Amino acid sequence: MKKLIAIVLCVLMMVSAVACASKPAATESQTGTETKAAQGKVFNIYAWNEEFKGFFEKYYKVPEGVTVNWIINPSDGGVYQQKLDEALLNQATAADDDKVDMFLAEADYIGKYVNSDYTMGIDKIGYKNADTMYEYTIKAATDDKGVCKGVSFQCCPAAVIYRKSIAKDVLGTDVPAEVQAAIDTWDKFDAVAAKAKEKGYYMTASFAETFRTFSNNCTMPWVDANNNIQFDPMITAWIDQTDKYIQNGYTLTAGVWDQEKTNEMFKTGKTMCFFGPAWYYNFCMTNAMDPENGCVGDWSIVKGPQAYFWGGTWLLAATGSDNTEMLKDIFETFTINEEVCENLVKNENQYPNNTKIAEKFANDPTYGNTAILDGQNDIAVFAELAKDIKWENHTNYDQLLNEGLQNKLQEYFKGNVDKDTAMKNFYNYVKETYANLNVPQA
Amino acid sequence: MEKKSRTVKRRRSGVSYAKWGYIFIAPFFLAYFFFTLVPQFLTIYNSLFENYRVGLTQVGPNWVGLDNYVALFTPEADGLVRILKYSSNTAILWVLGAVPQFVIALLLAVIFTSYRLNIKGQGFFKTVIYMPNLIMAAAFSMLFYTLFSNVGPIQIMLENAGIVDHSFDFFSFRITVRGMIALMNFLMWFGNTTIVLMAGIMGIDQSLFESATIDGANTIQVFFRITMPLLMPIFVYCLITAMIGGIQMFDVPQVLTNGRGEPNEMTRTLVMYLNGYLRNKNYGMAGAISVIIFVITGILGGIVYKMLSAQYKEPKRHRDRGKGGNVQ
Amino acid sequence: MKEASIRGKIQLTLLRIIAYTILVFLTILCLFFFYLMIINATRSNAQLATGFTLLPKGNFFVNLKNAWNDTSINIPRGMLNSLIIALSSAVITTYFSALTAYGVHVYEFKGKKLVFTFIMAIMMIPSQVSALGFLQLMNKWNLTNNYIPLIVPGIAAPVVFFYMKQYMESVLPLEVIDAARVDGSNEFRTFNTIVLPMLKPAIAVQMIFSFVSSWNNYFIPALLLDKAELKTVPIMIAQLRSADYSKFDMGKVYMLILLAILPVLLIYIILSKSIIKGVTAGSVKG
Repeated sequence: MKKLIAIVLCVLMMVSAVACASKPAATESQTGTETKAAQGKVFNIYAWNEEFKGFFEKYYKVPEGVTVNWIINPSDGGVYQQKLDEALLNQATAADDDKVDMFLAEADYIGKYVNSDYTMGIDKIGYKNADTMYEYTIKAATDDKGVCKGVSFQCCPAAVIYRKSIAKDVLGTDVPAEVQAAIDTWDKFDAVAAKAKEKGYYMTASFAETFRTFSNNCTMPWVDANNNIQFDPMITAWIDQTDKYIQNGYTLTAGVWDQEKTNEMFKTGKTMCFFGPAWYYNFCMTNAMDPENGCVGDWSIVKGPQAYFWGGTWLLAATGSDNTEMLKDIFETFTINEEVCENLVKNENQYPNNTKIAEKFANDPTYGNTAILDGQNDIAVFAELAKDIKWENHTNYDQLLNEGLQNKLQEYFKGNVDKDTAMKNFYNYVKETYANLNVPQA
Repeated sequence: MEKKSRTVKRRRSGVSYAKWGYIFIAPFFLAYFFFTLVPQFLTIYNSLFENYRVGLTQVGPNWVGLDNYVALFTPEADGLVRILKYSSNTAILWVLGAVPQFVIALLLAVIFTSYRLNIKGQGFFKTVIYMPNLIMAAAFSMLFYTLFSNVGPIQIMLENAGIVDHSFDFFSFRITVRGMIALMNFLMWFGNTTIVLMAGIMGIDQSLFESATIDGANTIQVFFRITMPLLMPIFVYCLITAMIGGIQMFDVPQVLTNGRGEPNEMTRTLVMYLNGYLRNKNYGMAGAISVIIFVITGILGGIVYKMLSAQYKEPKRHRDRGKGGNVQ
Repeated sequence: MKEASIRGKIQLTLLRIIAYTILVFLTILCLFFFYLMIINATRSNAQLATGFTLLPKGNFFVNLKNAWNDTSINIPRGMLNSLIIALSSAVITTYFSALTAYGVHVYEFKGKKLVFTFIMAIMMIPSQVSALGFLQLMNKWNLTNNYIPLIVPGIAAPVVFFYMKQYMESVLPLEVIDAARVDGSNEFRTFNTIVLPMLKPAIAVQMIFSFVSSWNNYFIPALLLDKAELKTVPIMIAQLRSADYSKFDMGKVYMLILLAILPVLLIYIILSKSIIKGVTAGSVKG
């Protein structure tokens, strides 16, 4: 019997040794003399990429004694949402220092979290929405009962970013006003695409480059009140346009994020137009800024054929956070603090969620973007577009439906499958992802 | 006196040594019970419920009996049954890699063990061909993706050589994507199989080969009449383990196609299908797929083992008789 | 007679040429992709966009620095995590498999045959088929984002058990154990101090294999771990395939893949002889 105990003890010791080894980070909170003060010592942030982390570490001073943990999972395939959901569902039983304090959400699924009890109203942490914030960013973070649950540090009006040298070759001009006049409707845009093709260029570098321009102008949501999938005329229009572009060779079959597309931003690229908001510079255009092979200064920006917005990152306050003061602080830093908002524009190529600062840059004749553009005042272009952004027709399912539709249709545009099969694969994907949704019977 | 008592003690405790057997195997069975058996039953149990999560909302568990299985096997409007498609994908991907794997492995095993050929540098060759077996499948697959992507070095080389144009894409064709997966599986496993089969051939009584050669049998006859039959148990073992590995195929196609199984889900395997439901927290469907994979594993393992061991019963008996004769 | 022997010689030479050709071809095939990887790890992003080269460039250390210091794919942390898990699971797996094999090999007890057959039978069952229940259970026990579910289940490793059992049959005479008993050693101590040292070669080989398979394991860890500081190397490598990382410098990507397989590669280069021996020694008995 003694020996049995010895074995059991031995096993237990090994297990506990392993358990200790695997949790080096968790010990900190146990050793510190923890006076159960109002504020926690660990601040957990869930995010899907490093974008905000960079700004946070640069512009926010973490209070002394607080450790910030970043839990970052890729948004691709819904991994970020799945991991975040799991954490939020365990929020009630998690130890204080393991609780989610703040998390980031994208326009495509923010509603899911805003309209849940897992986020808390920002009035509870003593934050008041500033009147300098863009209306749609507040609306997106506000639940059905009118409670606002978070803020965005950016505003995302999106435009057309074009290669000046290619525009000059195709249109004979690279002056923004004249380029805009040449592409201010989709029909004109198509005509220019044909011209570009003749000269050996692509109009866009991804079949899905214009997806957001259409999808964020939809007049009905992806899913109706009875959980049926529905195709907005705008989505159908995008498919038709892309069909034509692929057939005529105006665009490539690469996805928006694919390397084949981003390689088109090298000096050697053959593509004239890219569609994106201010965050697109840092996020998608690193090849254009490549020291050896880039083409900084060969870019200008115009409104393009149709106004739209794309994405945006909201900071939401998680229910149960024990770091409410810090939450308030962070929210204020990135929305109200004018110095930080100015730095976001000047140093980070962002468009701030602060009308006052945006106007200031838009009207400043000395300001110009030289990080990637030719010194053009891009904030002025964005500011014009930002006024018209409306928040409507969004569902909790948007991210994975948009992503799935693009992935499945990409196979069609590549010529791997016919359109019917692509749509069937999409519907099957929807059923696998969301068992509650109804798809049309093919 | 003391000596005597010790022997007695030993003998008496000799009876109770049995308990040590139980004690020594207890950790294994405890771990197995908690980490495999209970989960196994939980998995089967889950397959009988509607149980999924949509975002932050939990639906179920509601008892649905065999509905999840029915859903899996209900054809779509055009007659497509996805789970059958994924099963046949898995089988095809496995066969494409396993056929060359076993053919080459047999060939190499014979070459390496042949006294006549007396291959030099065996140590080096074995070291090289076994190496891919230890490489992380996810990393190997990521490497293949970067090398073969339409902006990768291999595509660019082919474009520069004028063999393909820019619209060509390795990931657009069933044959190329499946080929890449099969090639990776082949590279990762043929060295391992070679080494195991070699050991098997070296374990065969050398005098058998000698006497066969003296009797005028040629290399091919020796291979089919002596080597192969005597190698059969090891060959079957390799085949079954390879097959079970094949049913589990996941890392390589998952990373290579980013979980999409392009083109047209032709490289989507059963475990990729399972993984999709697991990630989406659809436990009912995931449970049903798990049970199906479990059943397939059992059936295939059983059939192959039975089939091949029956087929080669004849020559085996010959051997036994022959051996007996020698001893006499 | 002479003619026949000449013909035989020509035939043999031909066969040799064929054999060596096959071997050289397979060697090149095995090394080609890894060679490309290493070459590409020495090139810059812009150089990589131009395609294919067989000679290294000078960007190796720049790529290494970029890969090592990247904050979104924290590869040093991942390697440390993988090392902790792989080492612990190698120790646990081999120790307990030897223990179990010893229990079955040495002792006579009721149901021993059944135990052996049972372990042989479950050897065939892939772990994925119980992954769902496993995840549920770990979630219930609050063991997600924890290394215990990645290490402790290794106690029950039928394949390693089988290897150990085979090995014991060939090297472990029961007389040794009897002798230890006469000396008054208790059973547990006999196992730890006398039997384990005798099993050293088998333990070494199985520790390497357990280490490698744990280092390369992707399916279960990817479902269990999501905290950045806990992630293992395969999860990080698979993440590279996600859209969010497409903006990565390709030189860095090749370097990350190289780093992911490097530890195992090093172990292999040093110990390849005993590893290859280990593949065969316990696999099957004809």
